[in-house]
Amino acid sequence: MKLHTFSLCLFACTACAFDIDDSLDRLDSALTLSAFQDNLRARLSGTLDLEIYHFEQPAPGLINSDIDTLFNPRLTLFLDAQIGSQIYFFAQSRLDRGFDPSDHGAQVRLDEYALRVTPWEDGRLTVQVGKFATVVGNWVPRHLSWENPFINAPLVYENVTPIQDKSAPLSPLDFIYGPFYYEKYAFNPVIWGPSYASGVSVSGRLGKFDYAVEMKNASLSSRPESWNVTEQGFDNPTFSGRVGFRPNEAWNFGLSASEGPYFRQEAEPTLPAGRDIDDYREFVLGQDASFAWRHLQVWVEFYEARFQVPRVGNADTFAYYIEAKYKFTPQFFGALRWNQQLFGDISNGYGQNVRWAEDLGRIDIAAAYRFTPHTQLKLQYGFQHETTGPGDDNHLLAAQFTIRF
Amino acid sequence: MRRQGLLWLNAICALFPATVLASATAEGRVELPKSHSAPVQAKRYEIVTKAGVLSTQPPLAVVYLDGSFPQPASLPTKEVAQKDLTFIPAILPIQLGTKVEFPNLDDAYHNIFSYSPAKRFDLGRYRPDERPIPTQVFDKPGLVILRCDIHEHMRGLILVLNTPYFVMTDTNGHFRLNGLPAGHYTLKAWIDSRTTREKPVELKSGQTLHVDFP
Repeated sequence: MKLHTFSLCLFACTACAFDIDDSLDRLDSALTLSAFQDNLRARLSGTLDLEIYHFEQPAPGLINSDIDTLFNPRLTLFLDAQIGSQIYFFAQSRLDRGFDPSDHGAQVRLDEYALRVTPWEDGRLTVQVGKFATVVGNWVPRHLSWENPFINAPLVYENVTPIQDKSAPLSPLDFIYGPFYYEKYAFNPVIWGPSYASGVSVSGRLGKFDYAVEMKNASLSSRPESWNVTEQGFDNPTFSGRVGFRPNEAWNFGLSASEGPYFRQEAEPTLPAGRDIDDYREFVLGQDASFAWRHLQVWVEFYEARFQVPRVGNADTFAYYIEAKYKFTPQFFGALRWNQQLFGDISNGYGQNVRWAEDLGRIDIAAAYRFTPHTQLKLQYGFQHETTGPGDDNHLLAAQFTIRF
Repeated sequence: MRRQGLLWLNAICALFPATVLASATAEGRVELPKSHSAPVQAKRYEIVTKAGVLSTQPPLAVVYLDGSFPQPASLPTKEVAQKDLTFIPAILPIQLGTKVEFPNLDDAYHNIFSYSPAKRFDLGRYRPDERPIPTQVFDKPGLVILRCDIHEHMRGLILVLNTPYFVMTDTNGHFRLNGLPAGHYTLKAWIDSRTTREKPVELKSGQTLHVDFP
């Protein structure tokens, strides 16, 4: 009976959605402009996401909320402009409750803007300047709500660790137990989402290989506020790169690396005497692979990261995930993702080696239905379990309705 | 002498199939909408991008004779290719029951799909060298909007018609539809998803009817 009711609801939504689908196609045409004999082309597009999260406290990942059921709407606008055949510009602006889901008030941000120059037609060299997503790994191309099979990011992009970028720990014990005393937003993951830091990148393709290197103003673990060039300059840049190998359209393999200081300027007074921000760096090595054929897509990423922590030493962690998406019908797909993050040992200052954070694993399962090419409903369940320490669990239920225009 | 000539003409005409003799022609012009804006490709998260711009397809109309006609035993297979990140042709009129191939001629994946009520399908991702080339049979009349799940800007149209008598206009809107059966019919001009103009016509054997769709 419930299935019957659900089917009726889906049919009703589909019928309604088809009425507005043609209008959204026309809106798309109306928001595409060209001038100077088509030498200047611009397109305004966007998504409206309505998200609901239900979880246990403390909120998982980068969700920053004291309430257990969170409504998180988000309007995203994109501008894509092609100037001649070699210059491309894009920008992304958002109106939401924060870069990551939160119970805060509304805010408007310019999250991305970049100018890209491609001098040769075969794409051997591309130079990009601005504020844009990192070239590291293979998650970035699907991080937006329409392309992402899930509602949240893989664990390594959102699991908050004891690393802090605003102040240095006073001791190893302060480092390990800090997360119990400070607000979660004081801490950082290994990679903060798509890391829209500011800088310049050079990329291209040479036969079956592609390459990309970038110099950014902030490390991969840095918080969204640090990505703005007005907030953090290029005094302590981060260098990242990726080399990819694509034997054919189905397979793609990549090796990534990143290195740069992770403390913000305000942390300087808390560092040991005679040391500065440049002395404490984040090193990341990544391996990624993806496969796609017909209705199946699979992605994996492995990351080994090292943080140089004042008064502690090197804090190492290893994280990976494997993610698969399968389209069961033209409009319905399912996705499954297994994530794990393991932490190394550090000296606690009393002659003992202890794990600097609890190992954890998370399984995410999602299902999505596309009513039309412009509307999509996603449902997700995530179960997170600490495999060491107290063994805390967390269940996440989330729903996301997206209108794309 | 003149009478003898007419007899000869009658004899020659008797050798031709009746359908040719009975065929009529309709020609004219369809007022086309103004050109579409040039498409823009979103390249935000592609590490490697090529230079160049997407081609702009001029608007075209499909003129067809509406009516009840017998279905042929077999129909030729048609093709909509994906090349340079566009559908070629951008609009394809076909007769009901036609099989269409979708070859990928780019060096990148495409994922062609349609959620149109006339045909709902998703071909998934396939390589350019894969054989057999993915196909679909269109067995319901109506408009099928083709899209690519990877390249958001890609749009193509297949107009599935329940008639064997149809033709595309040229870029100026001119059309000529040959081999039509004599009788009373409705001539229609499909211009876009919301605009189809129609006119009742009386077709006579051997005559050319001029019809404009302003």
